[in-house]
Amino acid sequence: MSWAWFHKLGSPKWFFSWSKPWALPLFCFGCLSLLIGLVWGLVFAPADYQQGNSFRIIYIHVPVAMLAQSCYLALGAAGFVFLVWQMKMAPVFIKAMAPIGAVMSLVALVSGAIWGKPTWGTWWVWDARLTSVLVLFFLYMGIIALQNSLEDQVLANKAAAVISVVGLINLPVIKYSVVLLETLHQGPTFTLTKKPEMPAEMWLPLLFAVIGLYCFVAGVVLWRMQSEILMSEHRSSWVKQEVTKHGF
Amino acid sequence: MTYSSFFVSEFLVLWRRKQDVFNALLFFIIVVALFPIGINSSPDFLAPAAAGIVWCAAVLAILMAVESIFKEDYLDGSLEQLVVSGLSLPLLILLKVAAQWLVVVLPLLVIIPLLSEMLYLPSSGFWVLIMTLIVGTPSLFFIGVIGAALTVSIKQGAMLVMLLILPFYLPVIIFSTLAVKATQSGLPYSGLLAMLLAMSLLSLVISPFMTAIVVKASVN
Repeated sequence: MSWAWFHKLGSPKWFFSWSKPWALPLFCFGCLSLLIGLVWGLVFAPADYQQGNSFRIIYIHVPVAMLAQSCYLALGAAGFVFLVWQMKMAPVFIKAMAPIGAVMSLVALVSGAIWGKPTWGTWWVWDARLTSVLVLFFLYMGIIALQNSLEDQVLANKAAAVISVVGLINLPVIKYSVVLLETLHQGPTFTLTKKPEMPAEMWLPLLFAVIGLYCFVAGVVLWRMQSEILMSEHRSSWVKQEVTKHGF
Repeated sequence: MTYSSFFVSEFLVLWRRKQDVFNALLFFIIVVALFPIGINSSPDFLAPAAAGIVWCAAVLAILMAVESIFKEDYLDGSLEQLVVSGLSLPLLILLKVAAQWLVVVLPLLVIIPLLSEMLYLPSSGFWVLIMTLIVGTPSLFFIGVIGAALTVSIKQGAMLVMLLILPFYLPVIIFSTLAVKATQSGLPYSGLLAMLLAMSLLSLVISPFMTAIVVKASVN
């Protein structure tokens, strides 16, 4: 297998022309699939026999929570790629991805709180999963804050890569430790009401929503990366050609 | 410059600044004092919470100390000299952190008996608390030094270091306080100490290299 495509990804120009046709279709497909999943889930799927209609927030909560974790995984991988191969696109990716991940974890926390109120009777529990998503949110905000405060671009890129990799290494430890905290603490135990084996008409819309959100985010990230490339390479001749030929 | 002379000079520089050593210690004590004053001063609350209070205060004091570990060296150019000295930069960073650990943590351990009396910590938990501090604090230093290197070129970097690094300290706090709590309910705690040691060793392996990468990028 040839690794040429992988090394080509290091060049902003090549990445820009490669990713240009992908962003819009991914975005549109993502929106469509998300819309199908949400409408199906929120309107047509049967109500849960225990939680009634309040369970429907699962169609927002679960995709967003999955994205919040996947985004961090991608950040850590990009950081590793940058530290090892000095690939120019990796920090651009981190810069484009970090705010999206932060938003995803925030939405996961908020939607979880809204779901928690009717089912658990409280907005917030110091439960393992809630706490680890909160920590995840802080990790994202740390990366964003670091990138914003470092003036030197080279240093900012390296710093973001290092902190992403360190975060990725530490994330399993953090997750394991908060699970331990929860299981040893016999405080007020709130457990998610045991769901019945989900019938297909309940999990299919969820699948649509998850896939849709992944594609949506991929499209947005590509766009953000492309505009970042255009801004950072604005002196080079290919950008001039690109802009005069196709406009923005 | 050899490794041993570097370590000795680093240690002496830190140790002779008596005021800084005292400041870290006083900061630690006053944060501990906030909890009984601010929340509840009865033994019923303090005895089970003592280990957590001591650890939260220790984490803040240590991070305040670690945050500025490279600041002066960066400003007067000696950090650059370390990079071009021909010695292994990760090893030099390791020695620097070790010197800082000795200067910050040893006084902290000396004051712990006093504080644990003031917080009504049961005597069964006392030695475990000491052990968690000895075994767990190296990982705080090693993780914190990455943050210190990342923000060395920023003028007001302390708040950013706190935001960046505190999430990574959660597991250490959790394992340590659980270990002390385990003794209070008669459970075995050696597994939790082993986890703390594992975290210190993991950060010992990773952190000097990560820090060296960032230091090199910062000084050029």
